[in-house]
Amino acid sequence: MIEVKNLTFSYMKDKQALHGLNFTVEDGEIFGFLGPNGSGKSTTQKILTGILKAHGGRVSLFGKDLRNTHTQDFFRKIGVLFEFPYLYANLSALDNLHYFSSFYPKEQLRDAEELLDELEFKKDFRRKPVSSYSKGMRQRVSMARALISNPKLLFLDEPTSGLDPTGAVLFRRIIEKERRKGTTIFITTHNMLDADLLCDRVAFISNGNIVALDTPRNLKEQNSNHSIIIDYLYQGRHEEQTIEAAELKSGIPFPYDELIRVHSQEPTLEDIFIRYTGRRLP
Amino acid sequence: MWKSLYSLFKKDCRITASGKFFLVTLGSLLLYTLFIHFGYLNFMADNTDTCRVYLYDPAETLGQVSPLIHSVASMEELDEALARDTSGGVGICITDNEPNVVLYAGTEKFDRCRTDYALSLLHPGSEYIPETVGDNSPEMKQRKEITCELLFIEVVAIGFLGIASVLFKEKQMGVIRVHAVMPFPKNLFIFSKIFLFLLTDLIFAALITLFNVGPAEAGSILPAILIQTVILSLIMILTGFGCAMLLKDFKQFSLLYLVISLFTTVPVFLSANPAIKTDWILYHPFFHVYTKLKNAFFGIPVTSPVYYICATCIIFLLFGITTAAFRKEMGKEG
Repeated sequence: MIEVKNLTFSYMKDKQALHGLNFTVEDGEIFGFLGPNGSGKSTTQKILTGILKAHGGRVSLFGKDLRNTHTQDFFRKIGVLFEFPYLYANLSALDNLHYFSSFYPKEQLRDAEELLDELEFKKDFRRKPVSSYSKGMRQRVSMARALISNPKLLFLDEPTSGLDPTGAVLFRRIIEKERRKGTTIFITTHNMLDADLLCDRVAFISNGNIVALDTPRNLKEQNSNHSIIIDYLYQGRHEEQTIEAAELKSGIPFPYDELIRVHSQEPTLEDIFIRYTGRRLP
Repeated sequence: MWKSLYSLFKKDCRITASGKFFLVTLGSLLLYTLFIHFGYLNFMADNTDTCRVYLYDPAETLGQVSPLIHSVASMEELDEALARDTSGGVGICITDNEPNVVLYAGTEKFDRCRTDYALSLLHPGSEYIPETVGDNSPEMKQRKEITCELLFIEVVAIGFLGIASVLFKEKQMGVIRVHAVMPFPKNLFIFSKIFLFLLTDLIFAALITLFNVGPAEAGSILPAILIQTVILSLIMILTGFGCAMLLKDFKQFSLLYLVISLFTTVPVFLSANPAIKTDWILYHPFFHVYTKLKNAFFGIPVTSPVYYICATCIIFLLFGITTAAFRKEMGKEG
C-alpha cells in the first residue's frame, strides 16, 4: 500500500527534516509511526497525504508514484484524522459531516447518523454547534469525518488524544474494525499503549531517521534481557531473586516454600522508545 | 467540480452570514443612501457657488456683469473675501479699465479654468463663453460624484475586510488544513470566496447606483460601472486574501487595513480638493482605478487597452501570491 524509499525532505536548504527514510506498509496493516516532537513524523505524514510536495526519494501509494497520484482520485481513497479536531465551530456535527462529505461521490459515503451512533456520539448534540462540544466530542466528530468516505488508507494522528479511557477503548475498537474491513491504517502517535495494542508494526523515528522498525513483540523480545524476578517465601522469610529465563528449564533453581509472584523483565514499548531515541515521550 | 464549488460557496455564505457581514453591508448601503439624499445634496444646494467670483471696480467702469459676481468695496475687502473663501474663489480688480485676476494658486489647470470662468462672468455673451461639458444637471453631477466616491471606499472595505473576516475564522478553527486532503482542486477554495465577495460588491454597486443616481440614468452607465467595480473588487479581495494568509491574527490585519485603506483612498480625497498640486498622483495605481470608475459614472468610455492589460496582470500576480500563501497555510502545523 505504501512504499517509501530513501525519502528526504528539507524545509530550507540548511534544515533537512528527513534523512532517507525506508519503510513499507502492507495492505490491511496497522502501522505505527512513533517519534518525539520535531523528529519528522508529521512531515512524513504530510508528504504521504500530499500536503507537502518537493520531497526527495521515491514514495508510492496504491502502487503509484506519489508525484503522479495527487489527483482527486487519490484524495478520494484516503481519510485523515488530524491531531487537533479541526471543524467548523458554527456548524453542527451533522452539518460538518454533510459539508465535508459533499466533496466525495455519494456511492462512496457512509451514513453520518450511523457513524455518529457507532462513535457513541450523544444524539441531542448532533444538531448543536460544535462550539458547544467538549474536546472528546469534537474528536469523535473528527473521526467520523475521516471515516465517512470509507477510505482505503487511513491516516490517524494521535487518535485517542483528548479522549477519556472509555473513549480511547472505543476508538481502538473502531480502528480494529476498520482493519478487519481491509483498511490500511497509518498511525502517528506518542501513545505507546495505542501503538502496543493496535499496531502490527511500529517504526521509531528520531531526528529524521528511522532507528527501529519491527512488530511491538519482536522489539520487546530483542530488547529484553530475558531475566525473571521471583518473589517467594522460604523458612518464613520473604525473599526475591533475579534469574535468567533459561534457568527455568529445569524448574526453579533454588529452594523455596511458597511462590508469591513471578515477574518477566520484558521492557515496555516506551522503554524501547527511550533506548532508541534517547528521549522520553511528553 | 461544480458540485464542490457549490458546497464551498454555500459554506462561505453561511460563515459570512453568521458574522453579520451582509447585514453590515446592507446597513452601509442604507446609511450612504440616506446621507446622499438628505445630507449631501441639501448641503450642496446651500453651497451652489463652486467658484465664487469677487469684483473690485472702484471706477465702476463695467456696465452689466453676471449676477453671479459678488461686488466688494475695497481691495482689503477683496483680500478678506478670498482668504475666507472655501470654494476656490477668484478676485477681479479693475485698474485702468483692465481686469486683473487675483487668486490663491492651485494646480495650473485648475487656475486656468477658474480664471476663464471669472472673466466669462465679466462679459456675459462676449468672447469668454465657457464650454459646457456633459449634459448632467448640477444635482446629477453631485449625485454621481458622491456615489462614485462612496462606492469606491465601500468596495475597498468589502473585499478586503470581508474576505479576511471569513479567513481568520477558518484559520482559527484550523479547517483550512482539512481542505488540503479533500478531493477537489485547491484553487476552488479561493475561487468560491472571490465569487462570494465579488458578487456582494457587484450587488452593492448596482443598488447604490440605482438608489442614488436613479434608474433612468443608471441603466446606461451601470454596465461600465460594474466592469470597473469588478477590477477594483478583484484587486482588493485578492490583497485581503493574501494578507489574511500571511498575517498572524486579525489585530495585525486591522492595523494593515488602516494603512491600505488610507493608501487606496488617497485619490478620492485628493480629487475633492483640486487646489492641491498632485502631479505625482499619476504614479498612484488606485488613482487610475478611481478615475476609470468616475469616467464610468459620467458615461465616458474607458477604452485604454494599457489600463486593462495592467489591471489583468496585477490581478493574475495577486492570484499567484494568494495561491502560494494559501498552500503554505495548508501545510502549517496545528
